[in-house]
Amino acid sequence: MAVLLAGLLVRFPGQGMSGIVEKGGYRDMQRICQTTALCFVALSAFVVWESWNLEYYTKLGPGGGFFPLWLGVVMGGLSLAWLVQVSGRKGSPQDVAFLPERMGIVRILSTVVALVAMAGFMNLLGFQLTMFLFLVFLLMVLGRQALWVTLVAAFLGSVGMYHLFGSYLDVSLPAATVKLLANLGL
Amino acid sequence: MEILNQILLGTQIVFQPTNLLFCFLGVLMGTLVGVLPGLGPTAAIALLLPATFHTSPVAAIIMLAGIYYGAMYGGSTTSILVNIPGEAASVVTCLDGYQMALQGRAGPALGIAAFGSFIAGTISVLGLMLIAPPLAKFALSFGPPEYFSLMLVGIVILIYLASGSILKALMMAVFGLLVGTIGQDSISGTLRLTFGIRELYDGVGLIPAIMGLFGVSEVIVNVEKVIKSKVITAKAKNLLPSLKDWRDSFWAIIRGSVTGFFIGILPGPSSTISSFTSYAMEKKLSKHPEKFGTGMIAGVAGPESANNAATGGSLIPLLTLGIPANAVTALLLGAFMIHGVQPGPMLIPKHPDLFWGIIVSMYLGNVMLLALNLPLIGLWVQVLRVPYPILFPFILLFCLVGVFSLNFSQVEVALMIGFGVLGYLGRKFNFELAPLVLALVIGPMMENYLRLSLIISRGSAWIFIKRPISAILISITIALLFSSMIPGIGRRRRKLQERIERQK
Repeated sequence: MAVLLAGLLVRFPGQGMSGIVEKGGYRDMQRICQTTALCFVALSAFVVWESWNLEYYTKLGPGGGFFPLWLGVVMGGLSLAWLVQVSGRKGSPQDVAFLPERMGIVRILSTVVALVAMAGFMNLLGFQLTMFLFLVFLLMVLGRQALWVTLVAAFLGSVGMYHLFGSYLDVSLPAATVKLLANLGL
Repeated sequence: MEILNQILLGTQIVFQPTNLLFCFLGVLMGTLVGVLPGLGPTAAIALLLPATFHTSPVAAIIMLAGIYYGAMYGGSTTSILVNIPGEAASVVTCLDGYQMALQGRAGPALGIAAFGSFIAGTISVLGLMLIAPPLAKFALSFGPPEYFSLMLVGIVILIYLASGSILKALMMAVFGLLVGTIGQDSISGTLRLTFGIRELYDGVGLIPAIMGLFGVSEVIVNVEKVIKSKVITAKAKNLLPSLKDWRDSFWAIIRGSVTGFFIGILPGPSSTISSFTSYAMEKKLSKHPEKFGTGMIAGVAGPESANNAATGGSLIPLLTLGIPANAVTALLLGAFMIHGVQPGPMLIPKHPDLFWGIIVSMYLGNVMLLALNLPLIGLWVQVLRVPYPILFPFILLFCLVGVFSLNFSQVEVALMIGFGVLGYLGRKFNFELAPLVLALVIGPMMENYLRLSLIISRGSAWIFIKRPISAILISITIALLFSSMIPGIGRRRRKLQERIERQK
């Protein structure tokens, strides 16, 4: 997955500034597909290796390693078949159409990083503050909403949601572990 | 007489205030997600599943099923008014529905879509009511080999009906099965592929996986593009179709309902396939096929009826065999299991209240939908004005809160984000996500049935061939897998897919 993501993040030399796809774009696309297929082959090899160390067969019947081992083998075979298929195929404009533009990549990365940050800081800063900042970022920076819309929506989504879940659904969302913030009721 | 008693039991269950409320909430939410492009019933069910944890199983399933068939109703509104299908199953409705709107006939188009959906929904509930109990009785004779073969054929049909490459769909199914093996082996207790992470001992949770694959990845796909909110100016007046409209669409509704119901039973994206099949059938049977695409009311009535009828059909394998037919019913299976109920042949004898409650709730839900759709069209048009830049942060919020509130685990949130990125990449590379989800849900059951079968036969795989039902199912699996390699059939399948893609 990391290799795939890296492949998507580089600027593709085959895609000109005008957005018209040059022939090189097909080759880049082919390379990305080949890399993906190889990632699947590597994953299969890993699964086979891991399953090999588990019990394949017991007195009663198949052991814990039986099913994943065969799945790994089948996955490896299918991945190799796909590798052969993409290596021998000529590219088409549709193949390159999926590549995101630079700004698209920025928006995707911003969203994913915001999600990761939200998950990472939730226990430290508390749900209310983290979610407020998360929503402000998404609404204002990515969504380009007016300040008052952003603040109202972020307040409802963070403080409102915290109390809704706590009071009505009996689900306590995390409070801040930083003393200063905890004292502020966050 | 017995069936009447059962219906009476179902009616008593549904008319309890809580269940009525949940039925209403389900169809309302379903219509809402059907109206909103970029949020399908799968993502909506995943988002709302955690909200049902504190309710009874009956109320939870009634609400989640309501979202499923409600979304089919809502999907037609945007197709007709603004040429944006709210649902994949409503894509074909754009062809004639939007043309009717341009000619100032949006009202009758919306009206016939709502009435057609109601009639189809009713027919499919009747079909479900009549077919499910005898099928469940038949399934009582199934043993582990039959179940394993049935699950295998289910996955293979889903792969065969995949819109892209069979090879890629197969890879996704195997990947889903592999993810399903993570955690403690239920027979030997061995830990498998857990990397020492305690949260993975119970396996990869269904909710983080589904929310990531359908909720987060859908948001990532949408934020990639510059989001422009289309100004909605469409208006709909005179919703009641005229007598001529009824004459032109009555048989299309009946044909669409029957076709949709039977296609719904098959594994795969049945709602979408059934609406395309119905459109093709109406065009073929029409005296004026050349007029299709210019605002023919039968081109709206048939597909809209078919996609609604398919929802009832797709519940048959889930309720009678415990095997989901598509991603939405896989989620419903997850919901059943979370509430400690195992759908399958024993569902009707063990939980008649649940089974008949769902059936009657679907009928009542269809009445509610008719009441919701006709007078509230104006409201749904207003909903379309909510800009996506405001909507998507809240979808992510619900995903985060939904997953976190399950076990208060940050690992599960991380898994959801990982599945979100994986889902995005899968969509980009044209990997089908439905086989992955189905395999992930039924993978652990499938492994257990395989191992139990081999224990019964003392390691001999002949058990799958010796038993007649299993042998038939295995033959179908092999035939499907190999038929796509036969040049003629493979070419025809590709041509059909290309045609569907073009129409999209």
